[in-house]
Amino acid sequence: MSKRITIDPITRIEGHLRIDVEVNGGQVAKAWSSAQMWRGIETILKGRDPQDAWSYAQRFCGVCTTVHAISSIRSVENALNVEVPLNAQYIRNIMIAQHSVQDHIVHFYHLSALDWVDIVSALKADPKKASSIAQSLSDWPGNSEKEFKAVQDKLKAFVASGQLGIFASGYWGHPAMKLPPEVNLIAVAHYLKALDYQRRASQAVAILGGKNPHVQNLVVGGVATAVNMENIATLNMERIAFLRTLMEETREFVQKVYYPDLVAIASFYKEWFKYGAGVTNYLAVPEFAEDTRNTKFGLPGGTIYGGDLGTFKAITTHQDAALIQGVTEGVAHAWYEGSDSLHPWEGETKPQYTDFQENGKYTWCKSPRYNGKPMQVGPPAQVMAAYATGHPKVKKLVDDAAAKLGIGPKELHSTMGRLFCRGVRAHVMADYSLEYLDKLVANIGKGDSTYANHTEIPDGEYKGVGFHEAPRGALSHWIVIEKKKIKNYQAVVPSTWNASPRDENGVAGPYEACLVGNPVAQPDKPLEVLRTIHSFDPCIACAVHTIDPAGKEITKVKVL
Amino acid sequence: MRTLIFGAGNLILTDEGFGVHCINHLEENYVFPPEVELYDGGTLGIMVTHKIEEADRVILVDTVETAGNPGEVFRFEKEDIMLNRLPVKLSPHQIGIQEMLFISEMRGACPDRISLLGVIPSSLDPGSDLSPVLSECLPRVAGLIVDELRSLGHEVHARN
Repeated sequence: MSKRITIDPITRIEGHLRIDVEVNGGQVAKAWSSAQMWRGIETILKGRDPQDAWSYAQRFCGVCTTVHAISSIRSVENALNVEVPLNAQYIRNIMIAQHSVQDHIVHFYHLSALDWVDIVSALKADPKKASSIAQSLSDWPGNSEKEFKAVQDKLKAFVASGQLGIFASGYWGHPAMKLPPEVNLIAVAHYLKALDYQRRASQAVAILGGKNPHVQNLVVGGVATAVNMENIATLNMERIAFLRTLMEETREFVQKVYYPDLVAIASFYKEWFKYGAGVTNYLAVPEFAEDTRNTKFGLPGGTIYGGDLGTFKAITTHQDAALIQGVTEGVAHAWYEGSDSLHPWEGETKPQYTDFQENGKYTWCKSPRYNGKPMQVGPPAQVMAAYATGHPKVKKLVDDAAAKLGIGPKELHSTMGRLFCRGVRAHVMADYSLEYLDKLVANIGKGDSTYANHTEIPDGEYKGVGFHEAPRGALSHWIVIEKKKIKNYQAVVPSTWNASPRDENGVAGPYEACLVGNPVAQPDKPLEVLRTIHSFDPCIACAVHTIDPAGKEITKVKVL
Repeated sequence: MRTLIFGAGNLILTDEGFGVHCINHLEENYVFPPEVELYDGGTLGIMVTHKIEEADRVILVDTVETAGNPGEVFRFEKEDIMLNRLPVKLSPHQIGIQEMLFISEMRGACPDRISLLGVIPSSLDPGSDLSPVLSECLPRVAGLIVDELRSLGHEVHARN
């Protein structure tokens, strides 16, 4: 007999995502992904000055503010064919990489770990044993018996006072929780410590961006971060040295704590390399511009179809005509007028709400498609594209961990594979941050101090797109400029690709597809559904966070 | 003593951005001593926990969705939040201000004095301006904050 489960909302952070699943014989038979909030905020950009677009666009999402700023500024630069000086590209690259590191650390520890880590079990751990396990994983200095004992004592005091707070919504004692108490204790201790390192990444972005969240240093044609090694008021040697220290410390945390924890936890949940593949078509755009025209990049982009790395086709520039023409967004099952699939430059956002109709319209999320096909975006797409091109750093990380865990690249198409790819990406991002800092210093050392090409918005009509490989995947902002004002603006965000509903042909999006076939041991505690959806870092980009002390139950799991 | 005024919210969803509008209003109309920091925290929640931890005294400004009329202002203290005296979780997100403070408390880094000033919004539609009701309410809330800062011994002057 089949059971219907509704989880609303499912996200641990921004956004209002509802997931419905039909469970039959202990397995998910059908799934629906529904964004419960209208995402029409692009409309407020219409009629504004294109020079200001990035400043508004970075408020599209509550978490990834930097990524929308980057994508937006690139859309205007692309429309007007503006070159971006190397110093500005390097500064942007460091901000992009550090933002990613921060995002991935927070995702792993604070937004997804509790799906795998049983906090209450950590109370039973032997701190000495926990310390010796942690020390066998890496030589990070924070893994002493004393540290683990202190965390455990604190946890005991919280449990004794009945204040489990943040942990209260976890599924403790669930039969799908498998870590030994000591590994749970290690994870809890690092969960608390991780905040110190996400802070360093955040500070690094603030040093270059002037402010974080919401960087202030972008201008069409570059950055407004004045560079003068001798001047105390600009980006100078002292700031660069501080930046380097922050980024090195964060990299050490990623290498010696996050990544080893991820591999250790994955080793207890190897069956999760089998579940949750879903849509195995992948799309990544190239990132880390290394020339002034966005044609040369540090990390490759491309497409992969049907989970076959042999089908990899590279996307080498942000001007790739096939990429630009291949993107459409459909509304057949979304609460908007009409049923056509439109190119983002022609995109419309006219709300037409019905209720949740499983065979009709059931979400505010549109269905982005690439040449008519659903695509999964995010770290797996980028990691697989890099792996396919033989990128040495990525290849080594994937191959080493694969050997340790007894998996191959095929296992990356899974729930645990997504978490693993994020860890690989965090590693690579931490390295690239320092590489681009070196390149910046070397370029300035050569006597190049240009950081922006002054740009006036011309009269006439221009269309542009800004691509960016963000922490959650391929992001694009599409702009139409007419008479110096914004005529149309659409953002096709990673979570729209992944949270996409069925399209006009009835083909499911990645969230929907990845749940089918997953086990669900206890329908009233659908932990397995959370694990798979959280592995995408779901975030439906609406950023409403109004506090609600009035008394309605916030997260509901309804079993029919 | 370092005092942080933390404005939360989203500037492009009308009244949702109240906390940030409040920070901007304070900056435009008053001069603050260096130990008072005005911070536009956006909607980052846990990713800006460190800002809270670095201060001795925190005043959070945000919107609240509760029974009452738009523009009504509520005040909660740290113990209301930590001892679950509020009927439910504060935020519809699973990691909101309440969770942020819990984690901070577990780290032994949460300041003792945290207050939350919450105002009931009138509109959450896309738009970069506050609704008329909340525009009117803004100087009043800013005034409350300035009075409190002065009572804490900070020298705050009106900007001419």
